[in-house]
Amino acid sequence: MKKKKKFRLWILIVAIIVCLIAIWPLYELLNLSVRDISDYSSRLLPPETVKLSNFKDAFLNKQVWIGFKNSIIYSGLTILLEVVLGSMAGYGLSRGSKRTTRSIKSVQMLIMMVPGVVTLVGTYALMTKLGLTNSLFALALLTAAGGIPSCSFIYMNFINSIPMALDEAARIDGANVTNTFFRIILPQLTPITVTRAIMIAIGAWNNYLMPLYLINNSSKQPIILVIRSAFAMVGGDRNLAMACATCTIGILPVIIVYCILQRRIIASQIGSSIKG
Amino acid sequence: MQKRLNRKYFLFILPAILMVVAFKFFPIGNAFRLCLFNWNGYSQDMEFIGFDNFKALINDQYFWKALKATLAYAFGITIVKNIVGLALGLFVNKEFKGRGAVRAIVYLPIMISGFIMGQIMYYFYQYDGGVFNELLQLIGLQPIYFMETGTRTIIVVILTTSILHIGSTMLTYLAGLQRIPNELKESCRLDGANTWREFIYITLPLLQPSIISSVVLNLIASFKIYDIIGAMGAGGPDGASSSLTQLISKYYFTQLRAGYASAIAVIFFVVIVIIAWPINKYLNSKKVEF
Repeated sequence: MKKKKKFRLWILIVAIIVCLIAIWPLYELLNLSVRDISDYSSRLLPPETVKLSNFKDAFLNKQVWIGFKNSIIYSGLTILLEVVLGSMAGYGLSRGSKRTTRSIKSVQMLIMMVPGVVTLVGTYALMTKLGLTNSLFALALLTAAGGIPSCSFIYMNFINSIPMALDEAARIDGANVTNTFFRIILPQLTPITVTRAIMIAIGAWNNYLMPLYLINNSSKQPIILVIRSAFAMVGGDRNLAMACATCTIGILPVIIVYCILQRRIIASQIGSSIKG
Repeated sequence: MQKRLNRKYFLFILPAILMVVAFKFFPIGNAFRLCLFNWNGYSQDMEFIGFDNFKALINDQYFWKALKATLAYAFGITIVKNIVGLALGLFVNKEFKGRGAVRAIVYLPIMISGFIMGQIMYYFYQYDGGVFNELLQLIGLQPIYFMETGTRTIIVVILTTSILHIGSTMLTYLAGLQRIPNELKESCRLDGANTWREFIYITLPLLQPSIISSVVLNLIASFKIYDIIGAMGAGGPDGASSSLTQLISKYYFTQLRAGYASAIAVIFFVVIVIIAWPINKYLNSKKVEF
């Protein structure tokens, strides 16, 4: 009995240390965002006075709202493209000829090895020529194309576990392949679709490299670029609290979504790391 | 009948294939073409110069520095993440109250953009008033210039990235651990093995599928490291810790040397394939069955 108790204490200590390390950066962000400009006290401790007006000022900044709007549009478009095309491809891969699936699977690894910057360098010239810079739709296309391969295979794995008999029954009832997929198969995959959509949205919200070079019009900037310029304006720590407040507001949606759905997100991450 | 159906199913895959061809294969092809030209990225005249860009690369010290740094990042992060991630996976696989919360909190930093995490970490590594230096002074030590030398900066970036992004590796190993049948562990214990032997002879061999995917995926992902380095203020001194991704975007977008940047991009892609492909093949050939 005594031994068991000692064991548990060890677990508690490790758990607390691990959690503190993970949460530390966010604590500092919050700590810096509620400071007064003249507050140079230790960053390890909470600030002398908590100044919430930084958040008010950040909220009054019009650019923050434009950033939110653009990030929502960008995330929405990416979800639409990636989920629709990815789930369709997953269905085709699951039900179609095994030879096609095998050959597509063999190039998937190669596709994953393409760094984002190579994609960017290779398409940037074309995008400028076609006038696709400063377009959230083009940004979404590029982002979705990066996610479609893995998205398709995740859907394929789940559709594999839906019996073929269901497709056949639908066909006997007179449904064609398109109807079977959109009316019978896809509705069964709603939980997966929801999780995918969230992960895609968070990925788009956080994407930095592509917006940085493809968007230079401030009316089209997603929130991450607004946060970037807020930090870039920090001169000698002058607006640091402001920048941190803007940053906190910018990541708040992600944190809220994560807190609500963490169980589902973690479960899906565990599930997707079990291959085939 | 089946053949006709197969054609229909292929039509379902086609849009996805077209997207990947247009935005993955085409860019690579284009990079392979552009690397043979002298071009500033926007003007009409492109001058064909053959392999001159690659010849220039050989004498470009920044390229070699970035290549070295990128390899150090990729292998360093992969090694640290897999060792610490395995340990954490074993830890959160234990039965204790609140382990769900621990998993969720450790995974949280991954949900936040690497750029933002790097930006926050910048205020940890600042010399004056940085969080870590305050901590050092608190226990009576001298403050440190964390980004003084290239090697030191690389180590700082490897440790920071690994620890912030440890959650995904932890979950990969957790998934693997949950798949190991309990009977195996029990029979091992009945045979009188201690925890360490059980880990070496049962857990580790059966975790092989997780180790494979974790090593390969981490390696590929760490090669592409970009936003966290720049945001942390790393990259220096004089490009000693800059990654290839940073160097390519600098040459292409800042110095307007599109052809030259494409040449580096091509080399970069080839390096990833040469390193990651055989590792993937080798590890996959040793698959275990249970």
